[in-house]
Amino acid sequence: MHVLLVDDEKEFVNTLAERLSFRGFKVDYAIRALDALALAEKNVYDLAVLDMKMPGTNGLELKGLLEKIQKDMKFIFLTGHGSEADYVAGSSESACYLVKPVKIDALIAKMLEAVKP
Amino acid sequence: MKSGEMHVQYDAIGGAGLQFFGKVSASIAHELKNVLAIINENAGLLEDLSYAAQRGSAIDPERLNRACLQFTKQIQRADGIMKNMSRFAHSVDVFDAQVALHELVCLVANLAGRLAAMRKLTIEVTPAAIPIAFSGNPFLLQNLIWLCLEFAFGATSAGSTLLLALAKNETGITLRISGIDSLENNFPSRMPAGYEDLLAALGAKLSVDKDTKELILDLP
Repeated sequence: MHVLLVDDEKEFVNTLAERLSFRGFKVDYAIRALDALALAEKNVYDLAVLDMKMPGTNGLELKGLLEKIQKDMKFIFLTGHGSEADYVAGSSESACYLVKPVKIDALIAKMLEAVKP
Repeated sequence: MKSGEMHVQYDAIGGAGLQFFGKVSASIAHELKNVLAIINENAGLLEDLSYAAQRGSAIDPERLNRACLQFTKQIQRADGIMKNMSRFAHSVDVFDAQVALHELVCLVANLAGRLAAMRKLTIEVTPAAIPIAFSGNPFLLQNLIWLCLEFAFGATSAGSTLLLALAKNETGITLRISGIDSLENNFPSRMPAGYEDLLAALGAKLSVDKDTKELILDLP
């Protein structure tokens, strides 16, 4: 599975990328929406894991832009919201999101579920 | 503490104070979540490396060192966030205090830093030529400066820097927020709700200088 990680916290995204690589995933990461779009122009991704709140372009906006480049890409959102209940109440994207800090096994389970045909 | 008098001050500003407290708390919680996420990933990475070593793989000492440095860095970051949070939380303890204004403005700028970054804006605070003290309710003043920054965020293009500068003059103290792109005569209609009550409670005045692109807060 080829995965694109996007989060403005570089120390978070590069370490998560490394850990997913250990587990056999092919991973690229970006800390800015523009860089993520450039990667999506060059590579085909099965899935993108996007931070909800990023400077400039937020996760939902980036999802829309990435879908214009690769319509079959699947998405998972990460958020720093305080509680799962808060987020479920406030978001229509609750089917595919995880709250930081994320357990890697839970993330991988969501990733596999998201790309299931 | 004359709690009755304090309640009168907070009642005068209605829900604005509570909203301000909530926004700052939510922003701090979000930032701490990011710190925890980085610590969590680096702890997980150490587990991964340890697991691999148990199965005979060599561990790169440099990679271990980088992970450990992240713990130190993120703990320092969290400590800074918590110090600001503590100062902010305790600002409601007093309602008639004399506070160092530069420190108060820096605290609000720090608290608003994440929201500014979300809009790709930078906040800088210029120290005054001489130390300036403010006498009054520090929480109300923080709230008012926060609302001024919220207005400035909405009226400034991404990539810009907002500069906060304090000065003392014959009539009182002036805080200038410069670097705002879009200042119109009708700026009061674009100010966040609650600012008029805060101005009245503090005896302050708010105006704009379109030529210098400044929002000017005059304090007694």
